[in-house]
Amino acid sequence: MSAGEAVFSGWMKIADKTVPETARQHAEEDALAALVSQYAATLYRVAYSVLRNSSDAEDAVQEAFLRVLRHRDTLSEVRDQRVWLIRIVWNIVLDRKRRAKTRPETDDVSELARVLPAKGLNAEQRAAAAEQHAHVLACVEQLPAKERQVLMLSAFEELTSVEIAAVAGITESSVRSRLFRARNLMAEMLHHTRSVR
Amino acid sequence: MNREQGTGSREQGAGNREQAAASSSDFELTLRLLARLSAPEGLEERVEASLRAAPRATTSPARILRWPVALENSWVRAAAAAAILAVMLGGGWGVYSLVQPVRPLQPARAVAAPPHLATPGGGFSNAGAMRTPHTLNGPVVAPQSKPEAKPAAHSSGKALHRAQPTAASEDGPAAIPGRYDK
Repeated sequence: MSAGEAVFSGWMKIADKTVPETARQHAEEDALAALVSQYAATLYRVAYSVLRNSSDAEDAVQEAFLRVLRHRDTLSEVRDQRVWLIRIVWNIVLDRKRRAKTRPETDDVSELARVLPAKGLNAEQRAAAAEQHAHVLACVEQLPAKERQVLMLSAFEELTSVEIAAVAGITESSVRSRLFRARNLMAEMLHHTRSVR
Repeated sequence: MNREQGTGSREQGAGNREQAAASSSDFELTLRLLARLSAPEGLEERVEASLRAAPRATTSPARILRWPVALENSWVRAAAAAAILAVMLGGGWGVYSLVQPVRPLQPARAVAAPPHLATPGGGFSNAGAMRTPHTLNGPVVAPQSKPEAKPAAHSSGKALHRAQPTAASEDGPAAIPGRYDK
């Protein structure tokens, strides 16, 4: 049993009518704090992989936890809190990304060079690596939405294909087929750009 | 020759597969690097602060009245609610009865209404009017005269047997001379 589940099971025992209101509020706050400390970093990484902006990703994480706060009465019904939270933040970031399409695209290369780890590389190599990453991400953006989403979720090592299916709201076989198509498309695109160069 | 072509195409295929594998490992490396990024420092504290600052109106179910501690018992609450309701209704009725203007009694006006012509269907009446369509005089058919009485020979059974036409002779027995003379 994880720390969050332990706290929530305790909270469900506390949530009795005989227990004073203040004690219940304290229990709720403790449970939420446990969720935040356990999953905030994971949610941030999921949000950043889509939005690629640290402040936007942090906003998305905060919004996700505010939604949890609003629907905490249904928390006892949630089977896997980690997947549930990732699904919430995933929907938030997809919605934000859809809305942000009307805005002009920002240059990601400098941000990537700053953010992505590049140990043992000099400045020139780091710049080249950042450019390569930007090119890959530009190709990812050209993928169809369904394939792109599955491919991005598959990069998270802590998510199994069953969990990816739960987050994306599709079947496991769909996850596999979309992943296969996405990988083929990406390989084609990258091969094509190399041959053009 | 063919074998050389086959080996060549196989090598090319293997090369393509290697390139594809290399490119797939490239892009998957980029995505994994993104997925492994560490969260910024102080993220949890900021999220918790935002949760604390969020309105707590939804922590408990919506209420119309917040009861004092003395009214914890539900019966006492119901009695208090009934008393409040009675006071409000009584006060409202008192104000209403005070504000009502006193009208002098007036005789009701008699309104002459036309007599109602009831119709069986309940719809509009025709007010006693009758429709007389202007139609042409139709042909007068004379009553048919009674059919004439049949000759007496038809009534006897023997004659009837004789009178029956046969397929062989449409003209009747008179057309075959001497047949019935025996």
